[in-house]
Amino acid sequence: MNKLLSVFTAIIVMCGFSVFADGHANKVTIQLKWVTQAQFAGYYVAQDKGFYDDEGLAVTIKPGGPDIAPAQVLAGGGADVMVDWMPSALAAREKGLPLVNIAQPFKSSGMMLTCRKDMGVNTTADLKGKTLGVWFYGNEYPFLSWMSRLGLKTDGSSDGVTVLKQGWGVEPLTEGQAACVSTMSYNEYWVVRDAGYTPEQLTVFKYQKEGAATLEDGLYVHEKNMSDPVFKDKMVRFVRASMKGWKYAEDNPKEAAMIILENDDAGVQTEKHQVRMMGEVAKLTAGSNGSLDPADYERTVKVLMSGASDPVITKKPSGAWTHEITNAALK
Amino acid sequence: MNAYLILFFLVWIGGWWINIRLSHVEQSRFTKVLIPALFGLVVLFMWELIVIGLEVNPVLLPAPTAIIVKFSNSLSILWIDFVQTLIKGALSGYVLGCGAAFLTAVAIDKFDFLKRGLLPLGNFVSALPIVGMAPIFVMWFGFDWESKCAIVVVMVFFPMLVNCVQGLELVDHSRQDLMKTYNASYTETLLKLRLPSAMPFIFNGLKICSTLALIGAIVAEFFGSPIKGMGFRISSEVGRFALDMVWAEIFVAALAGCLFYGLIAFIERRITFWHPSHQK
Repeated sequence: MNKLLSVFTAIIVMCGFSVFADGHANKVTIQLKWVTQAQFAGYYVAQDKGFYDDEGLAVTIKPGGPDIAPAQVLAGGGADVMVDWMPSALAAREKGLPLVNIAQPFKSSGMMLTCRKDMGVNTTADLKGKTLGVWFYGNEYPFLSWMSRLGLKTDGSSDGVTVLKQGWGVEPLTEGQAACVSTMSYNEYWVVRDAGYTPEQLTVFKYQKEGAATLEDGLYVHEKNMSDPVFKDKMVRFVRASMKGWKYAEDNPKEAAMIILENDDAGVQTEKHQVRMMGEVAKLTAGSNGSLDPADYERTVKVLMSGASDPVITKKPSGAWTHEITNAALK
Repeated sequence: MNAYLILFFLVWIGGWWINIRLSHVEQSRFTKVLIPALFGLVVLFMWELIVIGLEVNPVLLPAPTAIIVKFSNSLSILWIDFVQTLIKGALSGYVLGCGAAFLTAVAIDKFDFLKRGLLPLGNFVSALPIVGMAPIFVMWFGFDWESKCAIVVVMVFFPMLVNCVQGLELVDHSRQDLMKTYNASYTETLLKLRLPSAMPFIFNGLKICSTLALIGAIVAEFFGSPIKGMGFRISSEVGRFALDMVWAEIFVAALAGCLFYGLIAFIERRITFWHPSHQK
């Protein structure tokens, strides 16, 4: 009886080991920057259309949200790869969390400052003395750099600007508490439009046009994993399938929006908003095959180091990005 | 098992042993302070050793020395945040909320129909979740300290009300009868017997509300604030991975909370000297 039990246990354990060993090499957990929405269409489309299955990967997509800092999830081991913006990732790197960019699906920046003309804002010169809504939690860096370049202090002094920590909505603008709010071209800008503001009533500053743009949604991993060949291999397959998902989403925005809605466990997204979002996001991913353009990286670093009194990063990062994964994925 | 971890266990066992020896010695004022102080120091030491020994990422848990350094470098910011959140937000809400609750309790005591109407309503209001009300109040009262004050008022009103009402109710009936034999009016009875007698309850309410006010003011800032204040600083520094600043703010909040509570307890000791619990 004892012998039978021990043989039985050994078989179970061996099976368990093989499952475990196999699982590690093919399981990927990705932590998104925000809730399930078309901003992350590439990953949901890749999962839904079977691109990850084709690469032999079992992918878990973890949506983000208000209380979730993707970098900390990564630091705590809760995900293999995350979607984050470069300013936040470089700041984390300088603070002791070595993140590495392995892919950059978003070529252009969708960040905007949307202002009401009836509160007196028509050009950047009118920003002086106004109250501006700004996101924090890692998203304030492009704004701070831009204000520094415009020579506007953010301490609420009369020849500077007053900054409000903006929440997840655009109420400061619609309620008149702020002259401007931060918006993404694919999300909050349309919320303002839905609230009844026409383009003629709004002054819009696009960070890309103001020279304050930084690289947005990119894929980041922890540097310690980049010395593990098994990890690198699964990242290569993951990036290949994800970029396939992105290009499919760009070509089929309506279908991508429907896939997002199916995956929306929280049930907060609407078809109209997601189709519109997918259309706008496609404008930002266009022109990227996933490989990071070093010129874009240098520009982002320059913007972040240029904040005179309070630069986001104090020294040029090294080893913050790699082409190793995308070179292998896009061969 | 490196040297730091070995030291960690040595400090732990050593500190524990010393404290046990101290607690068996005859208790003087000195030992009463020494034992908890020693315990606190040992915990800090152990924290430092484990962070170094296990090479914990500073983004997850900074070492106490890093926090102390950050604290001493950021005194002006910490002071601005303290004034914004605890003085302007929490203290104003505390005074308004507890004051209103006290006056309501006196009114309820006089008029029974108010008690039957207001107490259930107060119960309902206190059950409203603060994380739901905070964004609404920010929309109504604006981003600055006024909305934080309003949230604190809502949070402290009901606990203070319940405590005051109970305190006024539970006055010894034989003493009330005694006042009647002295032909004391309602106001005289209230001021000379019932309010002093209710003081333990009133101070109980004040102590409970002091912690609620602190929590309310800090949490309310997560939902919209100008770029100063403890809640704002904590959430934005977490976003910047500056966890040492977060811990410095937590330390300021804990210190302020302890001092505030201690002040109320000190005043209570003075006013309710007659109560059996304060007798030796």
